[in-house]
Amino acid sequence: MKKLTAILLILCTLLALAGCGGAPRADSLVVDTCILMEADENMINNYSLLAVNPEAPFVDADGNAVTDVAVNTVGAAALINWLLSEEGEAAAAEYGFAEYGEHLFYLKEDRPISTAEIPAATEETKLIRLSTTTSVNDSGLLGFLLPLFTEKYGYEVDVYSTGTGKAISNAKMGNADLILVHSRSDEEAFVEDGFSYVIEGMDSARLNYMYNYFVLCGPSDDPAGVREAASVLDAFRAIAEGKYRFISRGDASGTHKKELKLWPEELGITAEAESFAPYADWYVSANAGMGACLVMAEEMHAYILTDKATFLTFVANGGVL
Amino acid sequence: MRIDAFSRTYEGRCVLRVPDLDLADGAVTAVIGANGSGKTTLARVLAGVEPPDRRGWRRPEQDVGYLPQKPYAFRMSTEKNLLLGGKDPARAAQLMEALDLRALARQSARRLSGGETAKMALARLLMRDFKLLILDEPTASMDRDAALAAEDLIRVCRDRTGCTVLLITHSLRQARRVSDRILFLHKGKLLEQGPTEELLRSPAQPETKSFLDFCGV
Amino acid sequence: MSSSIQKAIELILSADRELLNILSTTARLSLTSSVIALLLGVPLGLLLGGCRFRGRGILLVLNRTLMGMPPVVCGLLFYLLFSGVGPFRHMRLLFTVELMILAQVVLITPIVTGNMETAAAGIAPALRETALGLGLGRGRRLLLLIRECAYPILTAYLLAFARAIAEVGAVAMVGGAIAWKTNVMTTAIMQYTNRGNFSLGIALGLILMLLSLIVNAALSLLQRRLGT
Repeated sequence: MKKLTAILLILCTLLALAGCGGAPRADSLVVDTCILMEADENMINNYSLLAVNPEAPFVDADGNAVTDVAVNTVGAAALINWLLSEEGEAAAAEYGFAEYGEHLFYLKEDRPISTAEIPAATEETKLIRLSTTTSVNDSGLLGFLLPLFTEKYGYEVDVYSTGTGKAISNAKMGNADLILVHSRSDEEAFVEDGFSYVIEGMDSARLNYMYNYFVLCGPSDDPAGVREAASVLDAFRAIAEGKYRFISRGDASGTHKKELKLWPEELGITAEAESFAPYADWYVSANAGMGACLVMAEEMHAYILTDKATFLTFVANGGVL
Repeated sequence: MRIDAFSRTYEGRCVLRVPDLDLADGAVTAVIGANGSGKTTLARVLAGVEPPDRRGWRRPEQDVGYLPQKPYAFRMSTEKNLLLGGKDPARAAQLMEALDLRALARQSARRLSGGETAKMALARLLMRDFKLLILDEPTASMDRDAALAAEDLIRVCRDRTGCTVLLITHSLRQARRVSDRILFLHKGKLLEQGPTEELLRSPAQPETKSFLDFCGV
Repeated sequence: MSSSIQKAIELILSADRELLNILSTTARLSLTSSVIALLLGVPLGLLLGGCRFRGRGILLVLNRTLMGMPPVVCGLLFYLLFSGVGPFRHMRLLFTVELMILAQVVLITPIVTGNMETAAAGIAPALRETALGLGLGRGRRLLLLIRECAYPILTAYLLAFARAIAEVGAVAMVGGAIAWKTNVMTTAIMQYTNRGNFSLGIALGLILMLLSLIVNAALSLLQRRLGT
């Protein structure tokens, strides 16, 4: 019996060591990838809040209409109102400054501001289901903001974080009370299809209040000369022409959609695999989360489009998230 | 003891057909025959393990003790196995003594050899008094001494309780030693029956004779 | 090279609250689902293996089919059924540990049943004819069958627990990996790996294997005791 335990323990240790050997060596303290271009108008990443409409045209898996879908409108409105209140917005803007010396999120000039009274949680309205993207979640913003809200008003916020597409479809299946995403086209479609509505005190369903920048990162030696490029579009052209390695999210996320818009049109790069097959020698479609892609970029000395908050977190943690 | 006629068909083939027959009460009746002649089937149907073809058929006796060809040893000591058959520890000790199992009393019954298991199973069955005892080749795995001890035990049991014994055996010598009457089965049919010595000395049917010759008796 | 083991030890020693929550959720999920699967699967398997009745063959085939159900398919099924637009939406069970337990029970019980059926079918005929021959009644025979199958029962539980703790397809879909609520070790490992944090993923993996090892060892000891 003791022998068996010993053998099993040794096996585990060996497996672990083997696993370590196989894992990308991304825990070096110094990360070579750095920001080469930012603050270009084409690279603004807008975050919006949308409350899910209880009267939305929900359909089940077979396509039949479903009417009595439970949506916690009171809770969702409470959270939205708090996030858009002076207190909530200030906290969001504050986030990260102390740690990274930079603002990770900026507030829009024309943002909606809420002065509404926020009701305390009741047994029925306590649970708020928030559907969001991995980028938002991984930046740590929600982990920082939400406790301030839940402690003050007694709500419970379940954060379902996944890719943009799945986050939105999750809401369409009636599994979320509000969504926080950063993909304008998807947001507008969501509203048009009737899945969102204008909560009391607001002017529109799509509440775009916060933004940050995407940044174009790459190896410090910058072979494509991105630093000297006049605009991000020129930078992308330079990368394509020089066939320098580029890591794409490839997962229909907000980041991915933004990236697709920045390539020169004649290349014809879209989300479809056939469109970028001819460029397979330098264009890597990873179909992975932001963190995993950053690790790949670091390993392969490649260029990558990422949001600044995630990148700063990545560097601060020595190349991991 | 009256046994009503019955037959047993298995997977479309009739493996046994017996007519009405009388089993002598209190006697030891041996059942002999070649492999596949239906001996075990006879035992199983009479014991109630297998049903005959006719639904309304009734067993000659309900209080039946049956020892299968390959008895199951439960995951417990030999002694505890015996106590499954009956509650009396003194009787268990007696039986184990008679079959030379005392040394193995505490040992796990799963670890017994073939012969030891057979002895244990017989002792276990004899823990209770049944009106009809059906034993399917009880001594097949035993060595000579053990087999003789077993035969003695069976005889003693029968003398004490007056139970009827049906003994399936492939050993004609055993039949001669122990039984009062013999039933000879051939290809699923009861071909001949009679008092032991008579049948063995002068069998009526030619098939019986060939079988006896084949066994060298 | 040993950074992952270092990290694992650091994690455990730091008693990070989120990690403790993940561990306790995992324990709650795996222990509950494996025990329920055992309570359902053992009698079912024993009955299926020990008794002969019409329709037994069909039930066996059904069980074998269920045994092979991919976890992610099971997860998808439950997601659709309990979704906000699904037929069971009023039960409000999506993204709860309770539903994760249910999904796992559906996945694991056929395995336990199948194991027990094989074990019972192996010994039931011989046990039956011996016990019948001794004049033992039906109830006694069933009790003896259960007792004889004690070793396979424990093995079946080991299998059930191992499957429960390693499963990720169903629990990810049905639970949503919501932090502090339905995040278990396997989904946490997936999340960290997606973020590129492989070291933490491996560290969690080591803890998971250690957990599994401890339970396995405890059960082995127990079954040793029962064997004698």
